[in-house]
Amino acid sequence: MGHDTPPFKRILIANRGEIACRVIDTCRRLGVETVAVHHLSERNARFVRLADASAEITGDTPVAAYLDAEQIIETARETGAEAIHPGYGFLSENSGFARAVEAAGLVFIGPAPDTIDLMGDKIRSRRFAEENGVPVAPSVTGGEDIDAFVEKAASIGFPLLIKASAGGGGKGMSIVEGKQDLLTRARTARSEAERYFGDPTIYAERYVERPRHIEVQVLGDGQGKVLHLFERECSVQRRFQKIIEEAPAGHLDPALRDEICAAAVRLSEAVAYRNAGTVEFILAPDGTFYFLETNTRLQVEHPVTEMVTGLDLVALQLDIAAGRGLPLDQPDITLTGHALECRVCAEVPEQDFMPATGRILHLDPPAGDNIRFENGLREGADVTLDFDSMLAKLVVAAPDRPAAIDAAKQALERTVLLGVETNLNYLARILSHPAFRDDPLHTGFVAEHQAALAEPDLSPHVAARVLMAAALTFREFRTLAFDAPEPYASIGGWRN
Amino acid sequence: MKLKLRLNGTPHEMDIAALKPDLELRIDGRGHALRETGGTGALRHARIDGEDITYHQARSGNRAFLHLGGRTWIVEFVDPRDAAREKVQGSGDIRAPMPGVVVSVEKQPGDPVTAGDTILTIESMKLQTNLTAERDGVLAEILKSEGDVFEKGAIVARLQEEEDGDA
Amino acid sequence: MRRITSAINPASAEFKTRAARNRARVAEFREMQRAARDDRPERDIRRLEKHGKMRPRERLELLLDPGTPFLELSSLAANTEYDGESPGASIITGLGIVSGREVIIHADDSSVKGGAWYPLSVKKIVRCLDIALENHLPVIHLCDSAGGFLPMQNQVFADRYMAGRIFRNQCLLSKAGIKQLALVFGQCTAGGAYVPGLSDYNVIVRGTGAVFLGGPPLVKAATGEEVTAEELGGAEMHTSVSGTCDYPAETEEEAIAIGREIVQQWEKPKKWECQRDDPVPPHYDPQDLYGILPDDIKKGFDMREVIARIVDGSRFHEYQPDYGTTLVCGFANIWGWKVGVLGNNGVLFNDSALKGAHFIELCNQNNTPLVFLQNITGYMIGREYEREGITKDGAKMIMAMTCSHVPKFTVMCNGSFGAGNYGMCGRAFDGRFMFAWPNSQIGVMGGEQAANTLADVKAAQMKRNGEEVDDTVLEALRETTGKAYMEQLSAYYATSHLWDDGIIDPVDTRNALGMAITSALNAPLGTPGYGVLRL
Repeated sequence: MGHDTPPFKRILIANRGEIACRVIDTCRRLGVETVAVHHLSERNARFVRLADASAEITGDTPVAAYLDAEQIIETARETGAEAIHPGYGFLSENSGFARAVEAAGLVFIGPAPDTIDLMGDKIRSRRFAEENGVPVAPSVTGGEDIDAFVEKAASIGFPLLIKASAGGGGKGMSIVEGKQDLLTRARTARSEAERYFGDPTIYAERYVERPRHIEVQVLGDGQGKVLHLFERECSVQRRFQKIIEEAPAGHLDPALRDEICAAAVRLSEAVAYRNAGTVEFILAPDGTFYFLETNTRLQVEHPVTEMVTGLDLVALQLDIAAGRGLPLDQPDITLTGHALECRVCAEVPEQDFMPATGRILHLDPPAGDNIRFENGLREGADVTLDFDSMLAKLVVAAPDRPAAIDAAKQALERTVLLGVETNLNYLARILSHPAFRDDPLHTGFVAEHQAALAEPDLSPHVAARVLMAAALTFREFRTLAFDAPEPYASIGGWRN
Repeated sequence: MKLKLRLNGTPHEMDIAALKPDLELRIDGRGHALRETGGTGALRHARIDGEDITYHQARSGNRAFLHLGGRTWIVEFVDPRDAAREKVQGSGDIRAPMPGVVVSVEKQPGDPVTAGDTILTIESMKLQTNLTAERDGVLAEILKSEGDVFEKGAIVARLQEEEDGDA
Repeated sequence: MRRITSAINPASAEFKTRAARNRARVAEFREMQRAARDDRPERDIRRLEKHGKMRPRERLELLLDPGTPFLELSSLAANTEYDGESPGASIITGLGIVSGREVIIHADDSSVKGGAWYPLSVKKIVRCLDIALENHLPVIHLCDSAGGFLPMQNQVFADRYMAGRIFRNQCLLSKAGIKQLALVFGQCTAGGAYVPGLSDYNVIVRGTGAVFLGGPPLVKAATGEEVTAEELGGAEMHTSVSGTCDYPAETEEEAIAIGREIVQQWEKPKKWECQRDDPVPPHYDPQDLYGILPDDIKKGFDMREVIARIVDGSRFHEYQPDYGTTLVCGFANIWGWKVGVLGNNGVLFNDSALKGAHFIELCNQNNTPLVFLQNITGYMIGREYEREGITKDGAKMIMAMTCSHVPKFTVMCNGSFGAGNYGMCGRAFDGRFMFAWPNSQIGVMGGEQAANTLADVKAAQMKRNGEEVDDTVLEALRETTGKAYMEQLSAYYATSHLWDDGIIDPVDTRNALGMAITSALNAPLGTPGYGVLRL
C-alpha cells in the first residue's frame, strides 16, 4: 500500500507450523525473505520447506528449542535477518525476549517490551484498565484476614467465583452461590491454593453466568495512533481453549459493539500501543462487560478479522515494525459479511478431548475463494504430543452469519484429514446445533450441550457401509475376499 | 471364520457369505454386497449394496481412516487371535509369572480396583514383583496369603467376572 | 470341442418316472446324511456344553475360510455297523481351504461316545492320511477323542493297517515335507497322543486339552500316583515344561485362530500345471441326471447324457467314436481342468477294452488326468470272446490303467460289477478319490445273477445229498440268498466299509470332481511307464 520496497529485506520467524506458514505467505507476497528455525524433529516440516532459508535450533525438547531466546537471536544475526516475528505462544509475550532482540539491533515485530510487561501482569493491567475508564470485574484479593475478605467479597454480589491468585488451569476455582457458603469455601480455597500453588492468596470476583468471550483486534503505530478492526467472539471453548471463533460476534447490539471497541482503543491509546494486539472482554447477558486481559501478540484466530475487513494483519504488522506507521484510518475499516474459524485439532472429543497422536496419511483440504485452510501440515508428517494439538484452522467467509455457518459446515464435511483422530465431526455437530445458530453463545456452550454434541448412535446401515469400506483397506480381509484360490472361490460356500 | 472390526469403539462381526460373482458379506447379521469399482491411492470407488460411493481411505497398521459421507471414521481391525482372547480377558485371573512366595497382600476381597492397582507383592529369586489388576473391577478372592508358596502360573487372585466381555 | 447333443426328453413319461424315483433316493440319502451328522443323544451334547466345548462341525466352520467349499468324505462311514453307534465312524474328514491353502482335515467327533475310535474310525483316519500322502495335502487334525474303543480292540490295534498305520502315515507325511497341524481340543490318550506328537505344529486348549501316553486312571492303576489330567498333560505343562505342545490357547476359538495363523505361514506349494481353460457350467441342467438314471439296475442309459451334465459347457471331444462303442472315451474340461473321460455304455468287449487301454495311454502321454464313470456289469464272456482274447484285452486295460502316472478319479454311477470294476479303476487301483451315487451297486456280480448262481449251487448240493429240489424250493433259495446279497451290494454298505470316499448326490459330481482334481495337483506326476502289456 503505497510503498515500492518490501518493509524488510529478510526476517526470521521464531515459530513453527501453521503460523510460520502464514507469516511466510505474506512475506512472499511482499517480497520479504524468510528464515525459519526448526527443531531436528521438524526438519522436513512444511514451514521449513516454504521458507527461503532455515536453520536448526536445539533443545532438550522440541518446545525448549523454540523457547531458547539466545539461540534464536544468534541465528537471526547469522542469517542476516533484520527483524524477528514471534508468532503466537512461545516467546511472543516474553518481554525479556523482546528486549534482547532490540538490544541485538534487530526489530521485534510486536509491541514495546514495557507494554508486554504491563499487559502480562494481571493485577497491573486490571488497575491500568480501571484508571482508563475500562470496566473491570469487581474483585477482592487477600484472605489472610478471612472475615474481612468474606465481608468485602459479599459486597461484590453473588454468584461469586473464588480463584487462587497464583493459580490457573481451573484448579482451586469454585463458584459460591450465596453468603452462607462463603466462609467455608474461602477457607477451603486458601488451603487448596497453598497445597497446589504454594501461595494461599485467593481472590473473589463476580461470576458472570453465561459469559461471552468478546475480544477486539487493535493495531497501534506506537506513536499514539490506535485503530480497531472490530471484535471477534470466541465463546465456544473446551478445556478453556477456543475452538470456534467468528467475526463479527453474532447477536450483538451495534451500540454495544461500538462501546466495547471504543474501550479497547481507549486502553491501547493510553499505552501508545505498538503493533498488533487483542483486548479481551467478558460480556454478560445483561450487556455489562468487563476487561479480562490484553494479548500483546497476533492471535490464532486473526484470519476471521482479515476476512471480514479485507486486510492483511501480518502485512500491517511488518509495516508498523518497519516504521512505516499505519497506512489507514478508522473510517477505512469496514465490516463486510461474516467469517467463522474452526480449530481442527488432533484429539478425541469422546475422551474429554484427550490429545491424539498419529501421522498425516492423507490430506485433502477444502478450497475456494472464501475458504482458508491455515495449516503447517505435510503428508507423512508425524502428529506427536511435542506441540499443541491444533492441526489446522478452517476459516470460511460468507455474506451473513447463517450462510457462514452453512459454508463452514460444508467445508468441515469436505475436509479429508486421515491418520489421526480429529475433532472434525465434533466441530460439524456444533455448527449443526440450533443453539449455535439461534442463541447468544457463552463460554459454557460445550458443557451445556455436551449430551447433544456427543457422537450420535450409528444406524446399522451407515455402520455397515463404513465397515465395508474399511475392510477393503485391511490385507487380512482382502486376502480372504479376493485371493481365494480357484476353483474354490467360484464353487463358493458349497457343502456336499 | 468371522472378522472382528471396531468402529468408534464398538465391535462388529463381519462374515463373508460368498466370493463370486460378487462379494456378499454379513455384518451384524445383515446381508450386504460389496464391489470395488476403481480408484487409486486415497480416493476409492465402490459399489455397496447397489449404490455407488466414493470415499477416501488411508491405513496405518490395524487402523483404517476413512472419509465417507462427510464424516471422518476410524475403524480398527482386531486380529483374530486378539478377538478370540478378548472373550477371556475379562476372566480376571491373576497368575504368578514365576514360582515364589507371597510377601504382602494389598487388597481384600470386595475391594474395588482399577487397572494397574497392586493386588499383592511376591518375591521370587530375590526379586520382588507387584502383581497388578489388568482391568478395573472388584476383587473377588485372594487365594494365597502372606508367606504362601506358589508355582508358576498359579492363580493367586481373581477379579469378579465382568458382565460384558466384549467391551 | 462341440457340445454333446442330448436326446433326453424331460417331458417323457420315462424321464418323469425315473426322476421321481431318483429324487426320492437322493432325499433318502440326504436324510441319512443329516441324521449321521446331526442327531446325537442329548447327554452327549450336554457333556460337551458342560466342558465349554464346541461341536466338531462348529469348529470346522470357524477353521475354514469364509465363502469356500468343504468336500466331506465318507459321511456315511459305519452306517451299517455297530448298531448305528458310530455315525460317520465318529470322524469327519474332508477337503477344504484354510488361510488360502488346500488342506485335508481330520476331525474327531467327540459328540459321539466321546469320540472313541471304532475299527472303521481308524480306517477312515488312515484313508484320510493316505489321501494326504498321495496328493501331498497338508493335514489339520482336530483332536478330541477318548481313544480306541476298548471292546473292539482286536480290530483296532494290532494289524498292519490298523491304528499304528495312522502314526506311520504321519511320519511319512512329515518326511515328504507335507505339513501337519494338530489342534488339541480334548484328551489325546495313549496312541492318540501321537497325533499331536507327530504333527509338525500343535495347539492345545487350556483346561480341556490334554496329551498323555497314559491317563490319570491308568497312572493310578500302574503306579498309585494320583494326578489330575491338567497336571499330567495339560496345556500349561506341555507348552512350558515338556515342550510337547507349541501354543497354549485359552479357548477353542483362540486355538482355531492360532491354527489359521500357523497355516498362513506355510509356503504355498508349487502345483503340477495341468492344462486348464476358463471354467464354464454344463450347458445341460445337472438336475436332468435324476431323469436319466434308470430305476432298475438292469436298464441302461447313454453315458454321454451323464457326461453332458458334468463337464464344462457339456463339450466333449470323443475319441474313436465308432469303435468299441460300449466304452465312451474322450476329452473334456471339469471346472476348467482338461481330463480324459471313460464311461461305460454296456459290457466291455475286446474292442472297447483295447480302445480303453489305448485312450489311457494317450492320456498318460498328454499328462491328462483320468475320470472313470462306471456303469459296468463286466467284460463279455463266451467262447467267441475268449478266442479273441478278451482276457488279455481286459488285462491290457487293467495294466494301462494301473500304471498310469496321471491322477485317476472314479465315480460309480450305477453298476460296478466284477472285473469291470477293476478295469474301470476300482478301489484297489489307487484312484485319488472315489465317489458313489446313491443308486449305485457294487459286487462281484449283479444281484439277480448272484441269487441265481448261489441258488443253483445250493440246489446241486441238495441233489447230491438226495434231497428233492423243485421250483418252490429254488424260489425260496433265490429269495434268501438274494436278500442278504442285495444288502451287501448297496452303495450304503460299500460306503459304510469305506470302500469309497463317500456317496454324493449326482448333481454334486462336478463340484466334487473339481475339488478332487484341483487338490490332486499338489502331488507331482508319477514316472511314466507300464508293465508288460500282453499283446
